[in-house]
Amino acid sequence: MLSMQHISKVYRTELVETHALRDFSLDVSDGEFVAVSGPSGSGKTTFLNIAGLLETFSSGTYMLDGEDVSGLGDNERSRIRNRKIGFIFQSFNLIPDLDLFDNVDVPLRYRGLKAADRRERIEKALETVGLASRMKHVPAQLSGGQQQRVAIARALAGEPRFLLADEPTGNLDSLMARQVLDLLEDINEKGTTIIMVTHDPELARRAHRNVHVLDGQVTDLKPFDGGTPAVVNAGAGGGA
Amino acid sequence: MEIRPILSAMLRNKTGAVLVVLQIALTMAVVVNASFIINQRLEKMNRDTGIDVDNILIFQSWGFGDDYNHEASITRDIEYIRSMPGVIAVTPTRSLPVSNSGSANDFRATAERFDENNVEYPSVNANTYVWNEQGIDAVGVKLAAGRSFYAEEVQFRESRSSEFAPVTIITKDLAIKMFGTEDALGKTVYDFFGNAAEVVGIIEHMQGAWIDWDELTNVIISPGVSAGPFIRFMVRTEAGRRDELIAAIEEQLPKLDRGRMIRRVEPFSDVVRHAYSRDHSMTILLLSTIILLVSITSLGIIGLASFAVRQRTKQIGTRRAVGATRMDIVRYFMMENWLVTTIGVVLGSILALAFNVWLVDTYALDKLDWHYIPLGMLALWVLGQVAVLMPAMRASTIAPAVATRTV
Amino acid sequence: MFFYHMRMAIKSIRRNIVLSALMVAAIGIGIGVCMTAITVFYMMSSDPIPYKSDSLYAVQLNSWEAPGPYDADRPERLPELLTYRDAKALLDSEVPTRSVATYRSGFTLNPDNPDVSPMLVMSRFTTRNFFSMFDVPFLYGAPWDEATDRSGDSIAVLNYSINEEVFGGENSVGRTVELAGREFTVVGVMDRWEPVPKFYAVFNGAFEEAEEVFMPMLLNESWERQNYGNTNCWGDTPMNGFRDFLDSECTWVEFWVELNDAEQKSRYQDWLAGYIAEQKRLGRFPIENAGAEVHDVNEWMDYNEVVSADFRVLVGLAFMFLAVCLLNTVALLLAKFSGNAARVGLRRALGASKAMIFRQNLVEVGVIGIAGSLLGLGLAWLGLQGVRSINLGHYDRLVQMDANLVLFAVAISLLSAIIAGLYPTWRICQIPPATHLKTQ
Repeated sequence: MLSMQHISKVYRTELVETHALRDFSLDVSDGEFVAVSGPSGSGKTTFLNIAGLLETFSSGTYMLDGEDVSGLGDNERSRIRNRKIGFIFQSFNLIPDLDLFDNVDVPLRYRGLKAADRRERIEKALETVGLASRMKHVPAQLSGGQQQRVAIARALAGEPRFLLADEPTGNLDSLMARQVLDLLEDINEKGTTIIMVTHDPELARRAHRNVHVLDGQVTDLKPFDGGTPAVVNAGAGGGA
Repeated sequence: MEIRPILSAMLRNKTGAVLVVLQIALTMAVVVNASFIINQRLEKMNRDTGIDVDNILIFQSWGFGDDYNHEASITRDIEYIRSMPGVIAVTPTRSLPVSNSGSANDFRATAERFDENNVEYPSVNANTYVWNEQGIDAVGVKLAAGRSFYAEEVQFRESRSSEFAPVTIITKDLAIKMFGTEDALGKTVYDFFGNAAEVVGIIEHMQGAWIDWDELTNVIISPGVSAGPFIRFMVRTEAGRRDELIAAIEEQLPKLDRGRMIRRVEPFSDVVRHAYSRDHSMTILLLSTIILLVSITSLGIIGLASFAVRQRTKQIGTRRAVGATRMDIVRYFMMENWLVTTIGVVLGSILALAFNVWLVDTYALDKLDWHYIPLGMLALWVLGQVAVLMPAMRASTIAPAVATRTV
Repeated sequence: MFFYHMRMAIKSIRRNIVLSALMVAAIGIGIGVCMTAITVFYMMSSDPIPYKSDSLYAVQLNSWEAPGPYDADRPERLPELLTYRDAKALLDSEVPTRSVATYRSGFTLNPDNPDVSPMLVMSRFTTRNFFSMFDVPFLYGAPWDEATDRSGDSIAVLNYSINEEVFGGENSVGRTVELAGREFTVVGVMDRWEPVPKFYAVFNGAFEEAEEVFMPMLLNESWERQNYGNTNCWGDTPMNGFRDFLDSECTWVEFWVELNDAEQKSRYQDWLAGYIAEQKRLGRFPIENAGAEVHDVNEWMDYNEVVSADFRVLVGLAFMFLAVCLLNTVALLLAKFSGNAARVGLRRALGASKAMIFRQNLVEVGVIGIAGSLLGLGLAWLGLQGVRSINLGHYDRLVQMDANLVLFAVAISLLSAIIAGLYPTWRICQIPPATHLKTQ
């Protein structure tokens, strides 16, 4: 599904070079639910941005769904983001003056789908997250958990191959967080690959596999206390 | 207050700052040059005509028909108007002063045109008018010396004749040009045909026909009545009675003689206003331009500053949280505006001068008076500070607690 | 997708309603001011007779005498008008396709209809070719014939408006009018004809109405009506009466010729040179290198500064004004779009390509531009009313917008909005998708 080999990312300013990722390698198989953790500044977000094709990288190779995405141009990358990847952000990133329907509609618009097709997908996605009845509400009328569920609906509506979630429960209380996580597990069970960045061990434990990032590299497997031991080695497995 | 952090913040948003600087510079270039032109036109319009403009009415008389007798008609009209209560004096004239229409001729202080070495003596161009013995009073000009014409000096003239009456009244400006510091009274003026006339009176000050003419105040008046059948009249009335007399003349005069038409009985001030209508329009158009431009620029500054305040809400809150007073916040925005405006007006001064050079070269306008540059700078500084004040005040009301809010 | 862009644009405009209103106002006022100036300028400098303006020439002869040049400030200039005797002599040249001499006068008109009271009419003494040379349309009758040019009979051509006034618009050919006490027979009635500018006589009001009565020039040699307009004289030969005036060195007659090609033009210039040489032998044209000049219609408009320097300055200022308004708009758009950065980043993350973002923002700029241009058109209309009111009724004929100008206004405002919007739109497309997603 996803295979990163020896990726490195260097940020240059006039004064310093920062190695956000160095020789970063990770393979994720189809249908996996992977939690990525690490202290802040470790390179989690950079990893997520690169995985989501939001940023380019300095060297290495990245195969996504069997396609080498290393040298793709901006338009191609936009297209892949639109079709294969769903994003879920810590701060939801809903557009405040669009109602739920229009919010979920955004990525579908860029795919150029027919109106009827879009409507069907939007309704289905909102149904999946249990908010079909509030289609005409704007985000401000919803609780944080509901907003995040809208964001998940937006990610799902495009029927992506995998979801990238960045601290999806970071802004939520524990009850809501649990509901969101339940939802993600459901989605994963239906076959969508999920990569979730989090530093909450509780959340990480529910993933199939935990990856720990430190100083821009994947460190040795470090299972959480009492967690299900992960089976897959970082760097092993190969592209799916 | 430190300028450096403001400067570096501006440098981070170079394009925005450059746009505002350019806008202010262009605004200054336009405002400075436009107000300079306006001021010049106002000065021009406010020049002293030397004439009692507000108490004079004018009209035209057109003779037609076989039995029209110019001499009899005019003599009777003058007599009739003179007898109307409120009339001070009346004179026929071919053309009106300050009307952009009239005639001018060359005059010399010597009878001969050339000296013994066949070098031409200097001649002076002057507006010529032909008035009767009431002319000086009817036009309301002041005699500085000498006398008005006598009635017996006033003759009826032939059309297109080059005769020159033996006495004349000239303006002081013309006297100085012809005779220098000598007393011109009693001196002889020669026309181009060599006819002589004695200067019997000197008018303190009076404008001639063409308002844009350099020699506007060179005026020479001959006694007489111009040939018909077309003639104009100037009638001076007692203060405040002009309009009633306009109505009376319009009503009564045509009845005296059906062989001529009375047309356009109107205040002389209308003629003067019409003569200056181009300058008047120019000042109004320029003034509108300035007002609109200044509004656009200040609204732009207000808009940008308000937007910046909204964008920087958190930053401002943080500053407040770490101890900035409300005054500090206001001062920050004022200082920022002051810096941008200062760069703008410096550039604007150069642009204003360049624009002026172009105007001088292309349209022969006058060179900009340097005072306008500092005045323009000052005006734009004030404009900027006033415009930014409201958004800055709004910024200062942002609560420090904003800093701790997450979203 | 266009409607989606449109819907998003309207939402975005409503989100920043004040800023958007400011932009619309800035574009609108800029366009309004600019269009007002351009309209007046366009009308003033329009070619009054476009299909033959390059074959009609005003003729100047340097009959002026030393020592002073005709125009002391610009010594290279010749008198704009001809002496009467030169005008008559030039009429005899067979080189031009047509030649016309003309000058203006005015007098009373006493209709034979007792219901119409006497009135003043502006008139023009001229030769018959005036009408064919300047393509004057006729409603009734025709210009006088060549014989009348030579006989100077008391006949007249009326223009449309005076025929309306005196004869109620009827065919008045063959009827008589009394002009300044003399009876004239009407031979022709012109249709409406008001060239703007009044190119055939630009002095004393290039934007005034055309004259009302036209009559053979020769007739005035005995009738002796005073000419109107600029009359410049030199010399010390005394004048006694109109006959002397006609023979004098005073310049006051407008003279036009029609020359259809370069060869004819150069032949005419040779002819003029010959004429001057001949006159020099008779003791006239005392200036050493006295010459002749011909200017076609548009050159003549420039030569006589029909569009005053004031108006040119105003047009220049109007464009600077527009520039300020556009800078203003660019600055506001940049600010507005920078406020949209988070949104744009999100849309990019969700798969919008740069081109899509570009189109989205261009639609928004377009909406603002169209609103601005509509406002601008309205303001230009108001501005023209304003110009009309402050010119004391002088420039009425100049302040009308035609379809061309409206199209031009729409084009210039859209273009302005797009120019103003292009850079901010391009800038916003450069926003990398990853920024602004993490925190707000």
